[in-house]
Amino acid sequence: MRFIISRFVQYVLVVFCGITAVFFIPRLTGQDPVLEIIAQIQAQGASLDPTAVQSLMETLKELYGLKGSLLQQYFTMWRRVFTLDFGPSLFQFPTPVAQLLRIYLPWTIGLFVTSTILSWVLGNIIGGFAGYFSGKPWSRILDAIVMVIRPIPQYIFGVVLLILFAYLWPIFPVRGPSIGRGMIINLSFILAILRASFLPALTLVILGGAVWFQQMKLLVQNVKREDFVEYARIGGVKGWRIVFRYVLKNAMLPQVTQLALALGQVFSGVLIVEMIFSYPGIGLLLYRGVTRGDYNLVMGITVLSILTVATATFLLDLFYPLLDPRIRHR
Amino acid sequence: MLKRRKWFLGVLVVFVMFCGSLAFAQLPGGVPRNETLIVDQLTGRVGTPSNFNLWAGWRWQDRGLQQLVCEPLWTVDYATGEIIPGLAAEMPIYNEDFTKMTIKLRQGVSWSDGVPFTADDVVYTIDLHVKNSELLYHGPMAEFVDKVYKTDDFTVVVELKKPNSRFHTNFLDRWGCLRIMPKHVFEKVEDPIAFEFNPPVGCGPYKLKDYDPAGFWTLWERREDWEKTPTGMLYGEPKPKYVLFEAFETEEAKILAQLRHELDMAQYAPEGLRVVLEKSNTVRAWRKNWPWVVNIDPCITGIMFNNMVEPYNIKDVRWALVLAINIVDYMAIAFDYMAPVSPIHLPPVPAYVELFFKPMEEWLKNFELDIGDGQKFKPYDPDVPFKLAQAAKERGYPVPEDPEAIRAIFGIGWWKYAPEVAEKLLKKHGFTKGADGKWYLPNGNPWKITIVADTNPAHHHYRNAMAAAEQWRKFGIDATVNATEAFNTLVLMGQFEVATQWPAAEPWGVGVDLSRTFDVWSSSLLTPIGQAVTLGPGGAARWSDPRLDELLKKMETTNPFTEVEATRLLGLEALKIVVEEMPTIPTYGYCGAVAWDEYYWTNYPGAENPYSQPYQHWPNFKYMLPFLKAKH
Repeated sequence: MRFIISRFVQYVLVVFCGITAVFFIPRLTGQDPVLEIIAQIQAQGASLDPTAVQSLMETLKELYGLKGSLLQQYFTMWRRVFTLDFGPSLFQFPTPVAQLLRIYLPWTIGLFVTSTILSWVLGNIIGGFAGYFSGKPWSRILDAIVMVIRPIPQYIFGVVLLILFAYLWPIFPVRGPSIGRGMIINLSFILAILRASFLPALTLVILGGAVWFQQMKLLVQNVKREDFVEYARIGGVKGWRIVFRYVLKNAMLPQVTQLALALGQVFSGVLIVEMIFSYPGIGLLLYRGVTRGDYNLVMGITVLSILTVATATFLLDLFYPLLDPRIRHR
Repeated sequence: MLKRRKWFLGVLVVFVMFCGSLAFAQLPGGVPRNETLIVDQLTGRVGTPSNFNLWAGWRWQDRGLQQLVCEPLWTVDYATGEIIPGLAAEMPIYNEDFTKMTIKLRQGVSWSDGVPFTADDVVYTIDLHVKNSELLYHGPMAEFVDKVYKTDDFTVVVELKKPNSRFHTNFLDRWGCLRIMPKHVFEKVEDPIAFEFNPPVGCGPYKLKDYDPAGFWTLWERREDWEKTPTGMLYGEPKPKYVLFEAFETEEAKILAQLRHELDMAQYAPEGLRVVLEKSNTVRAWRKNWPWVVNIDPCITGIMFNNMVEPYNIKDVRWALVLAINIVDYMAIAFDYMAPVSPIHLPPVPAYVELFFKPMEEWLKNFELDIGDGQKFKPYDPDVPFKLAQAAKERGYPVPEDPEAIRAIFGIGWWKYAPEVAEKLLKKHGFTKGADGKWYLPNGNPWKITIVADTNPAHHHYRNAMAAAEQWRKFGIDATVNATEAFNTLVLMGQFEVATQWPAAEPWGVGVDLSRTFDVWSSSLLTPIGQAVTLGPGGAARWSDPRLDELLKKMETTNPFTEVEATRLLGLEALKIVVEEMPTIPTYGYCGAVAWDEYYWTNYPGAENPYSQPYQHWPNFKYMLPFLKAKH
């Protein structure tokens, strides 16, 4: 019980500090969302009478909820957090932040969760075997290939895939025009989504998979040298049983933790991949929010992110003893 | 083994067929490619995809809304130097003291839902804007409009509370203006601010067909009754049946789309344009040969000083910084010699060259600076274009030999590179140069300049900043660039010393009326640091001059339509004052790197046939469409 209470207090503190930081940090950037809108209108050459702009600025402040002291805005923010109503997006006014999240989040979850799990599964399986059979030539060749792939930045890798499969051998679109549409479940829609998501997913799976591969390979190489594996071998336990029950199972534990934390990053999105493939995700939305000083949007996305990561970590802390008897024992 | 291989090959074939069958992207709504013009959306993905109410806020109007649906009363065409009457039948008519403006409307126009357009729509729009403070154009309407009424179905009279000879400019579209609302739609709406105006109803030649809820594209379809629109009446049938606006997040994706003939009209950074031109046999630029880019844009780029901050409040210091620039080196860094330089606060577009540049040339040549000790210096250098041409030639570019062609590409002239004169100007005010070759402020501190700039490396603001910093460093000033996301806020609030913001507001297209350029420098609008300027480009320089105030007063009482020459002369005088004082440094005319794919459509308005302004994001785009020719 003490364990649960201490973890819960830690959880509440993390959420409180995180959300407070999220409130203040955008306000310290020196950007004013009202001026950003005015500048956007002016930069494109739109003509606004000078005398009109002052009243427009007042109106926008009123509409954006930026009137009142910082303390008043802070308390308003907590009310919004508890009701999960983050108000309107300032840059995409008057669209509510909640509506934007509803539109974009499923796309990010679809791409990010699928590719993260896929890369995790593939990376761990292949990495596990490569680690166990690390002396074999195929393992060394695979390791060398992964060593080359892993440091390639997402931007470069994505563009290379685009050039290869959307230009030189054009079997995929530069981007799917239907991908941003609302979710309509029919075959042609699903096919279009799959097709348009293939290259972004491939980028994430290969680059992500390379990381999981290397981690798992190292873990397995260490675990297979442990005494209990040696005892099992001497004791006559069969080869595959040693691989799955003794080595891989133990090497998986830190990878499970990593997976939970990686999935928690869904709200940060996959900005670079979204940009290259014009994919309608939360990463681009957050980027726009940050560059335009859209406090409400940044707030909405990061609060959800904080809540998700903190909750995932909290739950993981609670469930980990079930996975690892050593922690239960402690 | 053989069976397994066959199975593998079978799967591979099915996979390739699946991808291949979908490879050539079907367009939204299944519209045929050869009837569709696909264009790049300048401002990127639409943030409010379902909302078309551009009277109530920023709605990414270049998604086709301002180009295809909205028809303003008047539009500026900077390529031809004309004002095109759209919903208006002719130019506005002012009374003697500019307290009454009469608008004659075009007859026979219908809204896209079939309802006839009449004077009631104009009266309703102005009236609503006077009453509703949340609408974007409430300010000028509430300030000036006393009464608005119709005298018949096609004549509207606006009575003003105080004289305003430029009141019509509120309705003059140059990438934004107060467009006329469909009364029959808005009068049924309870809250015109919250109303999404979806589908939009306009007098332009297209109507909404579909859009992406994530904002990546918007598809428009030509109206069947296009002949009942001003575009149809003026220029005939727009040729593409569909126009698709697409937003691309990266230049690479845009380039690939154009190389695959999936994008007809695009705008790039110069580097992107080069790649497309190199790789494609069907893509052309505005100019068919080097320097390719559009150099008839009505914007001028350059450097802005905060004239309320020391030492930039001293005219000699500003001029010293001009003379410390070697414009030939500067242009190599800023735009690879492809843009025309300008010594005055206007871009050197053909119409302005005739109206202002050539008439000012003698004055520029004779213009003198007092550099102290009774010495004078003539800073103007008419040979700059030829120096630029030589440098470009040395870089391997095919530069023409004809002097007129050289001036058309490189501009008419700029300021001399005279560091020794700059030194004298600075020493007049107590600046010192150390043994280390560095400059020190009169108070003995090292002179550091931080140039605040936009973060986009492709933007002219950024390019100007890099070039200026390099030049001033060579001169001995510790100059650095601060490219920041807070650029707009810092500039508008005056929290900068030097920035690479537009050095002057562009005028009303390229007519003789320069009031828009100089209005922002009226002393009545001067704003202290810490308070946001609301005066558009140029105003953030926080500068004014009593002589300019006098000219502005005269401009206010000069009718730009009936007193053309007087208007031009007032502009000339104002330009001279701004050159003398140099509150901002004009460097070169804005250049757009447009690329047009001629695979599906041809007859774009290139340099050899500039029948219209060339950008797909300008409202006049609708007037270009009747001239395009389908190829397939």
